[in-house]
Amino acid sequence: MSEAPIKEGYSDDKRYEVFNREFMPHIDSMYNFAFRLTTDEDDANDLVQDTYLKAFRFITSFEQGTNAKAWLFRILKNSFINDYRKKSKEPSKVDYQEVETTYNSEEAADATYTVDLRADAVQDLIGDEVATALNSLPVDFRTVIILCDIEGFTYEEMAKILDIPIGTVRSRLHRARNLLKEKLKNYAGSMGYDA
Amino acid sequence: MNAPSNRPSAEGEKQEQPMKHHCEHHAECIKKIQAILDGEATESEKEHFRLNMDKCMPCIQTYHLEKCIKEALNSKVLRKPCPENLIATIKTKVNS
Repeated sequence: MSEAPIKEGYSDDKRYEVFNREFMPHIDSMYNFAFRLTTDEDDANDLVQDTYLKAFRFITSFEQGTNAKAWLFRILKNSFINDYRKKSKEPSKVDYQEVETTYNSEEAADATYTVDLRADAVQDLIGDEVATALNSLPVDFRTVIILCDIEGFTYEEMAKILDIPIGTVRSRLHRARNLLKEKLKNYAGSMGYDA
Repeated sequence: MNAPSNRPSAEGEKQEQPMKHHCEHHAECIKKIQAILDGEATESEKEHFRLNMDKCMPCIQTYHLEKCIKEALNSKVLRKPCPENLIATIKTKVNS
């Protein structure tokens, strides 16, 4: 907001400078996001590369001083939906809209729904188990948990990245966490916890 | 856990509420607790939390569970560094 947007006429040097200063520091986060979305290293590589090349091409529409990480995540998410999800070999991924409809229709059940899982059972889980539970969620639910709990975005930033209202961020996150608890409960159960 | 749920109320004015072992609006409470842990709660949610948190056992347990899950996601899920050759490829393509 405070700094002026880069003008079309900026020199190549300026473009590289902005690219390196604003975009490259987020490459590890971007790679991890891509890997969690695609669950495949080669696809993650392609997705990150496509995203960074797009970011460079459209660098004039990035406003310096604004949130570069959220801007990049938004491009990556859109590329994933447009280019990767379509050709994914996974059984047809659940569509955002479809997910919302399905779960909204279960609002009544949701009201009394709690997962019987204990905090100490979660503390005993190892990272791989948590990651596998996360990866097993439908991608739309996985996404909100990654953005919020792993990448630390605010609800407002998530709303911008995902193009949805904040209220939807909140409810989707709630449902995603209920699903995750179910998955974690299976691991805890297999470790001998009764809950 | 420690407070009996049906303590005789012979304490006059003192409004010591017994610990609740059933939460009648737990789904709503879970949403509030998550917003608190995410640092996104509204003032009224924070106030509700302050006033009621220590009186409802299901909510206390939920708070600890949600906190543990959030911490586990943040600290236990392995974060890989971006491969060096990918960084190099991007830099080369941008410069070409």
